[in-house]
Amino acid sequence: MADPTSVAGAAASQGAGGLPQFDVAQWPGQMVWVLITFAVLYVLFAKVFVPGVGGAIDAREDKIAGDIGEARRLRDAAVAQADAANGEMTAARARAQKLAADAQGEAKAAAAARQAGEDAKLTQTLAAAETRIAAARAAAMAHVRAIAIEAAQAMITRLTGTSAGAGEVERALGNAGRTARQGAQV
Amino acid sequence: MAAIEPMEQFLVHKVVDLPPIPIPGLGALDMSITNSVLFMLIAAGLISVFFLAASRRAVVPGRMQALAEMLYGMVDGALTGAIIGDRGRPFLPFVFTLFLLIATLNVLGLAPGGFTVTSQLAVTAALAVMTFSIVLAVGFARNGLGFFKLFWPSGVHWGMGVFLMIIEFISFSVRPLTLAMRLFGNMLGGHVVTYMFASFVIGLGLFGLHGAGIEKLGLVGSGVSFAMIVALLALEFVVAFLQAFVFAALTCVYLNEVVNLDHGH
Repeated sequence: MADPTSVAGAAASQGAGGLPQFDVAQWPGQMVWVLITFAVLYVLFAKVFVPGVGGAIDAREDKIAGDIGEARRLRDAAVAQADAANGEMTAARARAQKLAADAQGEAKAAAAARQAGEDAKLTQTLAAAETRIAAARAAAMAHVRAIAIEAAQAMITRLTGTSAGAGEVERALGNAGRTARQGAQV
Repeated sequence: MAAIEPMEQFLVHKVVDLPPIPIPGLGALDMSITNSVLFMLIAAGLISVFFLAASRRAVVPGRMQALAEMLYGMVDGALTGAIIGDRGRPFLPFVFTLFLLIATLNVLGLAPGGFTVTSQLAVTAALAVMTFSIVLAVGFARNGLGFFKLFWPSGVHWGMGVFLMIIEFISFSVRPLTLAMRLFGNMLGGHVVTYMFASFVIGLGLFGLHGAGIEKLGLVGSGVSFAMIVALLALEFVVAFLQAFVFAALTCVYLNEVVNLDHGH
């Protein structure tokens, strides 16, 4: 307790257990000093530290909010682009289907037209052939009469030994042919 | 065996002698650097260095900045924001400084060889009177003479009102005293009790070492006392933080009354 630099030491030892804090001689210096310390710190806090730390917190919150906003904007843009691409895809598919259908229709029409042409040609050929056949048959039928007359003359000569005139045979044949035809018709 | 002097740790002595400053009409003001002043300056220096290092404004904070932002968030969220509300922002630097200075001074007092500035009644009284004066100044600046509505209870008979007004006025007036005594008492008591247990550790230990037979039990007492110091020191760290918080919180409560006098009361 015998501290020579202690101002309160004497008072405290005299006070017999009294608190050194109640030594009023020490009060003014401590009070002024603590107020000065506080004032300096307060100015530092008001001008530097609180704006610094608070500014960092605000800047971070702004940055996070900005980044989230930017991300949201980019996502919206991506969704819009995807929608546009989908629309284009649908349109392209529709166009392709239309194109295919058109081509098919054209091909069908062309095939039908070709078929019709061929059919007409075929019919024509058929008709021409039938005309030719009819002419040939008529010609053949005309020869049949002459052959029949010759054959009848030959048979008459063999059987009777006399020759028959072509005119007679022809008449007879004409009758026979008529009755035969009539009989056939009946 | 050394004398047990639990109050010696509170003695103020000069470290650097400075010439007294004459104050007209009051005498001389001794502004010498004492151990008390030295620890105030150490605390102010530590706080300044810490916050200078922490105010880098990095988007991704380092450890220092994260701690500073945590403290900022606590004072802004739990003190000025929660107690004063939207109008609390202007008082953030004041409450922040008060809280950090008191907390740092309290913790420095727990350091080995440290001096507990907040166990000096002069210091706690100066801080309390300063806080009370600021509350008064803010009260009159914001409300003018409407400040006195603070003492008038609403919704009671005028006779009862006068009676309550006197009580309200007394309770308001003793605020600087209670503010100063609460911090002073907590710091003083904690340090005295810790000192006493520390003296038991040595006293009972020596008694046990030199004694014979039953006197050996002194060693057990010494061990128990040591365990008590460990527990008390842990408690003292809580108290150091808590008393700074209480001082700042009460400051906010007092400021809230005068700042939000026109609504919500």
